Amino acid sequence: MTMAINDTSSVLQAREAHNAKLASAHDKTRVIWFPVTLLAVLLILPALQFAGNYNYLLHLVLFTACYVTMASGWNVLGGFTGYISLGHNVFFAIGGYFAGMIFARYGVSTIILAPLAGLLCAAAGFLLGQIMLKTRGPSFIISSLALVMIARILLDHWQFVGGANGVALPANDLPVQWAKLPYYYAFVLLAAFTVWACYKIKHSKFGLGLRAISKDEIKAESAGINTRLYKQLAFAISAAFVGMAGAIWGEYLTYIRPNIFTIILVSVYMVLMCILGGKGTIAGPVIGAILILAFNEFFVATLGASEINILATGLIMALVLMFFPLGIVGTLAKAGRLPRVLNWD
Amino acid sequence: MADIIQTVILGLALGGVFALMGSGLSLIFGVMRIVNLAHPALIVAGAYIAYWGFRLAGIDPLIMLPVAAFVLAVVGIVIYKLMFERDANSAKYTQMTVLLTFALAMIVEGALGTAFTNTQRVTSPSYATDAFFIGDVFIPKGQLYAGLVSLAIIGGLSLFLKYSRFGYAIRATTQNREAAELLGVNVNFVAMASFAIGIGLAGAAGALVSFVFSFFPAKHWEWIAILMSLVVLGGMGSILGTVLAAFMLSVVAAFVGDIFGATWSTMTFFLALFLVLLIRPQGLFGEKPELA
Repeated sequence: MTMAINDTSSVLQAREAHNAKLASAHDKTRVIWFPVTLLAVLLILPALQFAGNYNYLLHLVLFTACYVTMASGWNVLGGFTGYISLGHNVFFAIGGYFAGMIFARYGVSTIILAPLAGLLCAAAGFLLGQIMLKTRGPSFIISSLALVMIARILLDHWQFVGGANGVALPANDLPVQWAKLPYYYAFVLLAAFTVWACYKIKHSKFGLGLRAISKDEIKAESAGINTRLYKQLAFAISAAFVGMAGAIWGEYLTYIRPNIFTIILVSVYMVLMCILGGKGTIAGPVIGAILILAFNEFFVATLGASEINILATGLIMALVLMFFPLGIVGTLAKAGRLPRVLNWD
Repeated sequence: MADIIQTVILGLALGGVFALMGSGLSLIFGVMRIVNLAHPALIVAGAYIAYWGFRLAGIDPLIMLPVAAFVLAVVGIVIYKLMFERDANSAKYTQMTVLLTFALAMIVEGALGTAFTNTQRVTSPSYATDAFFIGDVFIPKGQLYAGLVSLAIIGGLSLFLKYSRFGYAIRATTQNREAAELLGVNVNFVAMASFAIGIGLAGAAGALVSFVFSFFPAKHWEWIAILMSLVVLGGMGSILGTVLAAFMLSVVAAFVGDIFGATWSTMTFFLALFLVLLIRPQGLFGEKPELA
């Protein structure tokens, strides 16, 4: 009898060791030095301000870092777990309004408030997930769209937060040369933290469970994964990252307004960046964010019309979905031609 | 009492228009399992056709309706050929097409915005601002005509689906794609034709919408969730369900608007969408939770 118990426990041990190996299985060819170098370069970049006025460059990096954070956050739910949400800008709004209102009333910097905003969004995501994750596939996408519409109406008519006009926030009193610096560092570090956290999540047992859910939810359930809880946690985590980005974004723009946070283009960008770069990969959202924003900046600078911008965004999205549904990283990896610098998994 | 009747009538008149807007969406989902998020954007495109017909040549939007329907049906064939024919057999098809039609909606919006700017437009034939009076109750002529025309079109569509040979083929494909194919139905052609009919219905709805609502290219975002709520409540793919849902929700929305103010009436649709997806994802007439 004892023998039998020993046997099962050794089997269980072997099983757990195997699971742990599966979860933490890294790609042998991945590179760490590239993202680390990139981060180091970005951290010393503001030194350029001693040489001249590079505020525009800093703005671009900061803006990209903001979207890297949001797209990577979205990726936890949309990429790892396979639940496409078009409503994640709601958490951008919750984070922005929460931190922005406290900043407006008590003057506490949103950079300090960002983790709190993240926690709040995680709680909101967990609760909304409890309701929305009962649906799956297309109905989940549709319900996420409905969520944006509801949030938009509520924010437009909630007088406490200024309704459709929003609330103006005080600008900081640093000299113009250094005014962007706090937000710059906040966003770059937040983006780096998010990418690192996504990497850790993907290669944990939890992340393995999420990836199993995206492959086949019923099998994942029958393999003993608490799919309900896993999905809700994924929703909460991805909402938290988006919320943290939203918190700082409001102060950076010096006003919070429904028009900034709840327009559908914000969530479309998150989705598009992940799909273009490669859903479910670590480097994908980063590459996607850089490409989409560079393209966007180019279009606005040369053509200037937001209408053509919408047209072009739609065209890119359609073409990527039709011809490269795996995205840049995914397609290259499948063909075995992924440059090592882009392999962060 | 007159107040209540008035609100019901306004709700029903609006419901007629929404019914036509939603029925094309429902048809397309039924046959092809495509959730066409670009449907409202194409309705806006139809509205522009009616608008320019009226503005440039003084043609009544109700006469422009067949033109808009035909043009949009042709557009539908082109879209089907370019975007959907090749993907019909890929895995996770339905989920992928939601994003693809979302991209299409942006393309249509961007194209319309580039061509016609973001100015609010509305066609104004004489009846659009007129009304019948029965005692204290008034019935706006524009909405009444739009509602009646859309019911006539939906009636014609139902007869076509029920009694024509091609209608049989469409219904067979809706019920079971593989079995229909085994019985000799050219499923790909049926899919293309129903897509064209569905988009044509969007064009027709656009002509009606052009004098019921004011519109501009980005207007379709407001309609997506409204139309989705109708189609989901009715049961995806059931046209009868969509029509009933349109009338039910429009009347409820009219009451909500009457009691809480106009801004909250659209909230009815969004909340209904949420609740139906949670409580009864198959809707009123759906057979099983297809979407889940």
